[in-house]
Amino acid sequence: MASTSTGSSASGAQFLDPAVLGRIGNLQLLAKTVVDGFLTGLHRSPHLGFSIDFAEHRPYMPGDDIRRIDWRLFARTDRHYIKLFEADTNANFAVLLDVSASMNYGSHTLTKLDYARYLAACLSFFSNQQRDRVGLVTFDHEIVEYVPPSMKHFDTVLHLLDKAEAGRAGNLSGPLLQITELLRRTGILVIISDFYEDPDAVMEALGPLRARGHDVIVFHVMDPHELEFPFEEASGFEDLETHEQIPVIPTKLREEYRRVVAHHLDELQRRMTGSRMDYTLLDTSKPLDMALFQYLLARERMMKTR
Amino acid sequence: MSLAFLVPLFLLGIAGIVVPVVVHLTRRQRKNVVHFPSLMFLEKIPYQEQRRRRIQHWFLLSLRALALALLALAFARPFMDDAELGLGATGGPREVVVLVDQSYSMEIGDHLEQARERAQDVFDGLGPLDRASVVAFSQGATVLARSTSDRARLRGALDTLQLSSGATRFGPALKVAQTILEESNLARGEVYMLSDFQRVGWIGDEGVRFPAGADFIPLPLGEAASVEENYLVTDVSLPRQSVSGRERITPTARVVRRGGSEPETVAVTLLVDGQVLQQQDVLLAPDAAASVQFPPLTLSRPHTRATVQLPEDALSADNAHHFVVSPGAALGVLIVEGASANSNESLFLRRALEISDDGRFRVTVRRASSIRPVDLEGVDAVFLNDVIIDGGSAERLRAFVGEGGGVLVALGEEGGWPASAGDMLPGTIGPVQDRLQGRGGRLGFLQYSHPIFEVFAGPRSGDFTGARFFRARAFQATDSAEVLARFDDGSVAMAEHTTGRGKVIVWANTLDDFWNDLTRQPIYLPFMHRVTEYLGGRAEAVPWFTIGQVVDLANPEALLTAGLVSSEAAGLAEGLDQVALTPSGQTVPLPAGEGPRYLPLEEHGFYTVRPPGTEPERPFVMAVNVDLEESNLARIDAEELGAQLTAPPGSEGRALNVDEAASLQREDQERRQSLWRWLLLAALALFMTETALSNWVSRQKAGAQPGLAG
Repeated sequence: MASTSTGSSASGAQFLDPAVLGRIGNLQLLAKTVVDGFLTGLHRSPHLGFSIDFAEHRPYMPGDDIRRIDWRLFARTDRHYIKLFEADTNANFAVLLDVSASMNYGSHTLTKLDYARYLAACLSFFSNQQRDRVGLVTFDHEIVEYVPPSMKHFDTVLHLLDKAEAGRAGNLSGPLLQITELLRRTGILVIISDFYEDPDAVMEALGPLRARGHDVIVFHVMDPHELEFPFEEASGFEDLETHEQIPVIPTKLREEYRRVVAHHLDELQRRMTGSRMDYTLLDTSKPLDMALFQYLLARERMMKTR
Repeated sequence: MSLAFLVPLFLLGIAGIVVPVVVHLTRRQRKNVVHFPSLMFLEKIPYQEQRRRRIQHWFLLSLRALALALLALAFARPFMDDAELGLGATGGPREVVVLVDQSYSMEIGDHLEQARERAQDVFDGLGPLDRASVVAFSQGATVLARSTSDRARLRGALDTLQLSSGATRFGPALKVAQTILEESNLARGEVYMLSDFQRVGWIGDEGVRFPAGADFIPLPLGEAASVEENYLVTDVSLPRQSVSGRERITPTARVVRRGGSEPETVAVTLLVDGQVLQQQDVLLAPDAAASVQFPPLTLSRPHTRATVQLPEDALSADNAHHFVVSPGAALGVLIVEGASANSNESLFLRRALEISDDGRFRVTVRRASSIRPVDLEGVDAVFLNDVIIDGGSAERLRAFVGEGGGVLVALGEEGGWPASAGDMLPGTIGPVQDRLQGRGGRLGFLQYSHPIFEVFAGPRSGDFTGARFFRARAFQATDSAEVLARFDDGSVAMAEHTTGRGKVIVWANTLDDFWNDLTRQPIYLPFMHRVTEYLGGRAEAVPWFTIGQVVDLANPEALLTAGLVSSEAAGLAEGLDQVALTPSGQTVPLPAGEGPRYLPLEEHGFYTVRPPGTEPERPFVMAVNVDLEESNLARIDAEELGAQLTAPPGSEGRALNVDEAASLQREDQERRQSLWRWLLLAALALFMTETALSNWVSRQKAGAQPGLAG
């Protein structure tokens, strides 16, 4: 996992603390704060992956810079054409955010959805800085909101992230299949979810995205209580999505629960890695930097391969 | 003997034991709900609610169940039913009252001991549910033990039984028995009377009626046929004489013999201050009486104790007759007459007072219209014989009267009273009125209840009607005055006004023969004696009292009657604390204070009264003799007595039917055993133990599981 790259937390790391982020109401300011702080600490160039692509030719007009005249075309056609270049993005970037009811759980100040929104905002901001086209899809058992990737949609993405609410039951396969149809141009897809489904079902849902050529980065958001199951008193446990309730004596079940969860996580990681998807488990009590590093690494790798 | 329940319905409450078990097994912790994102992983774990279905603290549960069971048992009112207490034969529990005679006649033979044994027999025959009372009686009745089934207490009450000096009176004891039976809720009543059943103890129907269902069972003691021979002293006369200025007394005892067959010589002994003074023999035939006169006895010291004693016989209490004598003090009389009065103005009065066997009056005459303080020294009564005194003398007389002296104002031609001291008189003095028509006036009304005229009340005890009054002074009595005598025309002849402790009497006539011929009547001398004794505060001393009398030691008049002279009586009545020593040697404290200080005389012999902690040489002594009625040993028919007490047959009874009796019996058994109290206490203790234990267990559990999350 990316744990090796988290050792270089810098002076801006305090801005990555989820508890601090929870007090910043504006998502854009939050994202900017996080990303700038993160990058400043990283001492990396903010223009990594920057390039200029050819757009079109147009006839020379007096006043145009003669350095931009395409002399090769003049040689063939004997006409002066200006070569226009477009400061284009490197890729499409879309966040696929799970807003099912189970994401509305949080044992401390932040719910998993809050954490996911911050993460999505930060990644979107970061990508926007990289001139990527930014899009957003929120889904539970169907697509809730869809913002196609575009340079101009960053504000919309942030607005929708801000408004995102979890409340309904979730299902991965249906909405992700629709997204596969919607996102025809390959790009970077960041999927943020708690993946309360069987690994087979998860892979079945994610498989088409990867097959379509998208770079899939998976962030598995889990609350620490979901991981550790520290409950003591015998209680009735109610499912946030189905509202089913069962009596549980946590002390008796804790070890078994942890084992089952660990097996689930291991299976997800193994299957995703095998499918060349980047899988990262995020503990909502931990800072966001691990997620950012993970994204950065993936982005860099894609730049190299391209 | 088996366990039974008074209210078995409450045993259903034992079913409540299952409540804690059911609650324990079915209770869900609904208040603790944890919202969790998904139960996906939890549902994969095989799990059952085994812990809730398994009772972990068997001991606590047992405690709870046991406490509930005890509670239900307590409410069911358990008791050990003694089947031996069958009701069919006995007809229900009894309220038994044992009346034991303790009058002094019970000393004959061993009647009291017999009574004790037979009472014990009665108590031994009591059933387990019967209750009994012990009442000792003589003149009054004392409850020694009331309505108890405690045999030891009844036995203890019998042990305290003692002879008294009182005479037999059945009435009070039977009244007490009636009250006990009426207050009892038991089915039957039985009254046992242990007595020698003297006829004198029953004066007829005294309003005693036992409730229906109560039986009177007489248990006569001794043989009814045998009449005991008994000697007794019935009276002692104590005539006084004054010889050579010294007072002498000649005791004469009257001795009676009851029963017997042959004449017997009896030694009669006179003891003075505990020492035998003289002994005389007297021959007494059966059922005869004789007088024994002892030689004159010179009285030199006050409160002299004397006893006329007969030899011991079966009934000893009436063999001694005690009395107390003191030398009589002569009354000092001052006669004041006008300076210009006739020489025989007070002749009749003076002569009348000088005539007495025992020289009881010491007369001084003063011819002046003023009275000096020295004139009043040693004087008990003052006669103002047709004289008008000055105001200063009147004030001196006011003080004299206030301290207990007496003044008689005789109104003749010259007589009067200073207006400044008019409030001392019982009225206002008017002019002279003549009664010359016919044969003059007479005394038409006399206040015979007054001490002065009391002795003249009987027939042939003195005749005032022969006296004629030709002239008198008009006298208008005030409302507060007591008119002692009126003339036949209704005008006041004699009136009295009480001032302080003394009194002032106005006689609206002369004391000589000028206005009337009373002085020539035989009645004149005793009349003047009575007036003088009354004014001087002399009361006839009682040489002995009888058992049952009560003396008020705060009442000077009662003390005067008891033999104290005026100054002593006043001193004792107003004095500090006193203590009375009874004949048996017990002390009775008589603390000073407001109100009466009663001393009941309950023993025969001498009662000594003195200040506590002192040993006066001649203390105040009162002699007490037994009631001689008790010496009459004639018996009443006990059956006849019982017939007067119990309800006639056929009257509506109070007896309960068998079911009611059985119910009462069960209630009584339960009430006496009171097992429910112990069960309730045990249940309480178990509840407290259970609470403490469960708290401890909870604390232990909480200590092992800190930091709950969720």
